Amino acid sequence: MPIVVENLVHIYHEGTPLEIEALKGVSMNATPGEWVSIVGHTGSGKSTLAQHLNALLVPTRGKVIIDGIEVGTDSKEHRKIRQLVGLIFQYPEQQLFEETVFAEIAFGPRNWGVPEGEIPSRVSEALYLVGLDESFSKRSPFQLSGGEKRRVAIASVLSVRPRYLVLDEPTAGLDSKGKDELCALLEKLKTSGTGIIHVTHDLELALDFSDKILVLEGGKALLWGSPEIIVEELIERGIEGLVMPPVVELARRLRDVGFDVPVTWKAQVLASAIEENLQK
Amino acid sequence: MKFLNHLTLGQYVPASSIVHSIDPRAKIISVVVVLSGIFAVNRIDSFLLWAVVLFVVVKLSKLPLSMVLRSARPVIILVLFTSLIHLFFTKGEIIFQYGFLTITLEGVMMAVKIGLRLVLLVMYAGILTLTTSPTELADGLESIFSPLKRFGFPAHEMAMMMTIAIRFIPTLLDETDRIVKAQIARGAELDQGGIIKRIRSFIPILVPLFVIVFQRADELAVAMESRNYKGGEGRTRMYPLVWSFKESIFMLFTILTTLLIILLDKRIWL
Repeated sequence: MPIVVENLVHIYHEGTPLEIEALKGVSMNATPGEWVSIVGHTGSGKSTLAQHLNALLVPTRGKVIIDGIEVGTDSKEHRKIRQLVGLIFQYPEQQLFEETVFAEIAFGPRNWGVPEGEIPSRVSEALYLVGLDESFSKRSPFQLSGGEKRRVAIASVLSVRPRYLVLDEPTAGLDSKGKDELCALLEKLKTSGTGIIHVTHDLELALDFSDKILVLEGGKALLWGSPEIIVEELIERGIEGLVMPPVVELARRLRDVGFDVPVTWKAQVLASAIEENLQK
Repeated sequence: MKFLNHLTLGQYVPASSIVHSIDPRAKIISVVVVLSGIFAVNRIDSFLLWAVVLFVVVKLSKLPLSMVLRSARPVIILVLFTSLIHLFFTKGEIIFQYGFLTITLEGVMMAVKIGLRLVLLVMYAGILTLTTSPTELADGLESIFSPLKRFGFPAHEMAMMMTIAIRFIPTLLDETDRIVKAQIARGAELDQGGIIKRIRSFIPILVPLFVIVFQRADELAVAMESRNYKGGEGRTRMYPLVWSFKESIFMLFTILTTLLIILLDKRIWL
């Protein structure tokens, strides 16, 4: 059962002077066990798209179907959708409010009616996934460090065991070590069958991890496909306003001057191709 | 994007008109004078005169008339309620009776007058906030109250707090919106259950919001101190208030018009 988005149009404040068309007919899909990245600049509509996947926003036109449930047709179904799709906002550590980390992580499962007896195991599982040990569960979330807070916030969504996880700029404000750890966690979730939908402005990060990438610009889908297809398009056409990852840019320039290097974003692949070229 | 932005806050409408360009102090004092003038009169024709003056000021301000009329919308209920009470409970010559409800001629007059008076008051105040930016208003108030500093009245601090509060309303609305959505995504139900449950369901929103507010206040304080802010003493302005000939003329007009309408109302010359 997949997530399917078809010709999604979203207009904020329709019929008022403040009307803004944030999405102008976007299509995409994702299945559990797949990593899909939505890449775009500020204002490209990527956060708007992400909020549709969780039924926080309802399509103005077009369709958003989550495992067979269409968003916007019956608002009673929206809770079901929100249980299927966990949404982690930018700076999720700002949503913490409970007295203990345990209660914070238990908030979601309790809201969805998980039996009280099962909650401690859900909390332990979520803490384990984000790499925090049991001793954290009794502490106040407000006494943790920034990085720990973010892990607790992510754990508070994982404890619901969503089938899909939508993350809006989850790496914002993390150092490179924190970034790597987070991506490793998402990769682990992906292999265990969770669908990852990763909203980011970082094309390089998206290329490294995604199965499919949607590039948004001004509310329109610019590119959609596997990282290989995206990179090929980038090199062929060169997308206005999109910062090329350095490796892709280097590959493009080398091809321009007649080097026979493959279209790639992987530094290792490019390096060995250059070596081969130089030996000839 | 935002659940909460149907709330329009700070109704300032920028335009280049003579009313916009007048010093905020002159405008604030004029409004006070005019409001006392409206309280001092008691005849329907005087209220109509005030309405004519209002119309002239609106024309000068280049604002659409409908916008000024709309500024009275929040008090419509109050106006109707007060007018109805006066309509039914004023003693005098009975013109209509049904059961225990009696309407008197005096009652009708009273209701019309009260209604006109309230609506006029709100609209004159509305013109002030429509043509003066919140910062200008705060600066004007600070300047008007600064003589009281001698008696320990914190005029500058009041104005600074007002400006900061107004500045942060849209920011906090955005933050609230984001937190509300984040908690809904975590399964919070904000509109379900009884009173107690509903109040409890706001805790996940209020606690993070308080944390953010304190954080922001702290950051702002550091930012201000690092720019060497230390209160109002010896502080200059980016746009100093200027009281020129124009303001004096404007004040003179306001006072003369007010006196004239009051005199007409009291039939002093008769």
